[in-house]
Amino acid sequence: MDHRLASDSPQFRPRWRKVAYGGMQPGFDDNYTDESFLEGMVMNANVVKRDMLKVMLDSVSISEYLCIVALVVLVWTYTLESTIDENCLLCIDVSLLVSGFLILLYTPEKVSLSILIHHYFLNISFFIIGLYVLAPIYQTLTRSISSDSIWAVTASLLVLHLFLHDYSESTVNAPGALKNPALTSCISVNASVVASVFIASRLPSRLHVFAIMLFSLQVFLFGPLVTYCIKKYSFRLHLCFSISLMVVTLSFVYMLHRLLFVLLLSLLVFVNVVCPYWLIRIQEYKFEINGPWDEAKLCFAITD
Amino acid sequence: MGDHEKHRIMMVSDFFYPNVGGVENHVYYLSQCLLKLGHKVVVVTHAYGNRSGVRYMTGGLKVYYIPWRPFFNQSTFPTLIGMLPIIRTILIRERITLVHGHQTFSTLSHHALLNSRIMGYKVVFTDHSLNGFGDVGSIHMNKVLQFTLADVSQAICVSHTSKENTVLRSGLSAEKVFVIPNAVDTEMFKPAFEPPSRSSEIVIVVISRLVYRKGADLLVEVIPELCRLCPNVRFVIGGDGPKRVLLEEMREHNSLQDRVEMLGAVPHAQVRSVLISGHIFLNSSLTEAFCIAILEAASCGLLTVSTRVGGVPEVLPDDMIVLAEPNPADMVRAIQKAITMLPKIDPQVMHNRMKELYNWHDVARRTEIVYARALKCPHQDLLEHLSRHLSCGAWAGKLFCFVMIMSFLLWHLLELWQPADDIEEVPDLIFQTSMMERRGLKKEKKMTDDGEFGTSFF
Repeated sequence: MDHRLASDSPQFRPRWRKVAYGGMQPGFDDNYTDESFLEGMVMNANVVKRDMLKVMLDSVSISEYLCIVALVVLVWTYTLESTIDENCLLCIDVSLLVSGFLILLYTPEKVSLSILIHHYFLNISFFIIGLYVLAPIYQTLTRSISSDSIWAVTASLLVLHLFLHDYSESTVNAPGALKNPALTSCISVNASVVASVFIASRLPSRLHVFAIMLFSLQVFLFGPLVTYCIKKYSFRLHLCFSISLMVVTLSFVYMLHRLLFVLLLSLLVFVNVVCPYWLIRIQEYKFEINGPWDEAKLCFAITD
Repeated sequence: MGDHEKHRIMMVSDFFYPNVGGVENHVYYLSQCLLKLGHKVVVVTHAYGNRSGVRYMTGGLKVYYIPWRPFFNQSTFPTLIGMLPIIRTILIRERITLVHGHQTFSTLSHHALLNSRIMGYKVVFTDHSLNGFGDVGSIHMNKVLQFTLADVSQAICVSHTSKENTVLRSGLSAEKVFVIPNAVDTEMFKPAFEPPSRSSEIVIVVISRLVYRKGADLLVEVIPELCRLCPNVRFVIGGDGPKRVLLEEMREHNSLQDRVEMLGAVPHAQVRSVLISGHIFLNSSLTEAFCIAILEAASCGLLTVSTRVGGVPEVLPDDMIVLAEPNPADMVRAIQKAITMLPKIDPQVMHNRMKELYNWHDVARRTEIVYARALKCPHQDLLEHLSRHLSCGAWAGKLFCFVMIMSFLLWHLLELWQPADDIEEVPDLIFQTSMMERRGLKKEKKMTDDGEFGTSFF
């Protein structure tokens, strides 16, 4: 190789080439570095410029779900204090069920009336019957454990649930959806179910247990699906719904406890204002390197 | 420069024979050629199955199989300082002057470099792979590499792309990083005595592990399309892996059973016989620092079609390889172009050119220069090492320093417990060079199973 190059340009020193073949290039050490070094490097090629307002609006769905969980905890507290009796709870259950169905029916998320009847109605009735049959078991499940432990475990489970919850989509999908939920969101759903069982086990009667279980599971399993459908149907509706939900929750929490109100309010402000601002600020420090050493990405979907 | 100076080198890598691959090959051939240049070479790797203790390979290459079990991908468990006693004993027994570690993914080499640096040895590191910057695994690996390379004497990479990558990942100055490519044993990969005829059909050979990183998914898209466009093309696919099912499915689905032959895993000794049955070698890797397979194919006189990834464009002159972007349409186009180029290719001419382009002896001579440079580096004491490591990162720097101090203390404890003077030094065995030369560089692995002594020392 080198002979040929040398004969091409007898009087000039052969130029250094960025190649690996042909042995050591005459006149250059192996650690020779020229200006073409790192020429293929691209920095921050895929960085998305984010808009403050858009990030704030997107974060509304997080605070919406936070409010939903806060409302569930409120209902639990009132039930445990016997402020709400079991009939009232059952009324809430039925109204939630009906309104949820109506929302699913009127937001076009692949749910037609026939699917609703065939798929949901049958399943939900099995589900309700099962819960009713199992209620006595739930009631006595944690009798040997002290209440303090139960509150502590429930609180940590709820934190885990909120931490791992899939805020962008719904873990329980509409029938026919292709995507399988991620492991973390499944853990999140399970944590919420266990928390509901623990709370239910502290209640005085079977009907209480049944009513509270039905309520919690409805909210935890189908709540995200309903809010997701609303969001997909109309973003404006989603915003109105979320803000009214926030107002309602805050006012209820205010009636319950001042300190909790302050905590929830600051949490909402943190999620909706501070975090988006923070995200935008730390974008400056984004440092992404791409170059010829990157693994090539396939331009078609791979099947496994 | 270093021609007259004889070094005593310890090669360290988790990857060595009986495992087969690019790094294994590199370590083996480099050691053999360094032995021929008159240096003393000892290879240290971890135990493979019941192959543990000391073995001798062709040409008197001594291999220590340290009895540590691999725990993931043939790498030993990272213990940071647990390896120090055994590494120290080997260093003293063999009167080593220089330690040469191979491959980022080899924890053993990281350990050995860290420990021998503490003991004041000069260390050289060869990086054989590319690594991204984005995912969690890479970020962790890059931190470890930064630690190892923080005050390595010299580093070697196998291609210029690999050098750029290593410099970015480790923060080493570009001056310290040498580019010394792999080579190929052209004697082992000669073209067929009678080249397969091109008139009736064109055979495309693929030999690679059938995994995602090697682009098995690309093959699934390319093969049916090419078979449709060129009725005289036949594929021979050697290799095994999780994506093999996918390829077989593709073959069934497009009824290409008579045009796509799946050989399964091909032992390295039989690679040549598969290669010489074809005209074109197809490499579909998605990432590759160097790709020895291309060299082997070119040495057998095959025209190569490859994806333009990593260091592949540097490997062969433009008239010996057709490059394509890693998407099915462009690869089909490149293979068609290669088919039109075929009549001009003479396997024997190609083979002779490869002989000039790549040579393990050349690699060894260039590595020798790096060793000479490394030995000229000034000696550093612990404080200098520590200050170098402290600059590696807010948290990582302190952690690195802690590890360094721990291993420094352990080293001094060992000096008290088992003084260096008490460790018996190994006499140098002199092998008959005439016999070695007759054998050439052929891998004669048969004789390696006999010599097993010195195991009591473990």
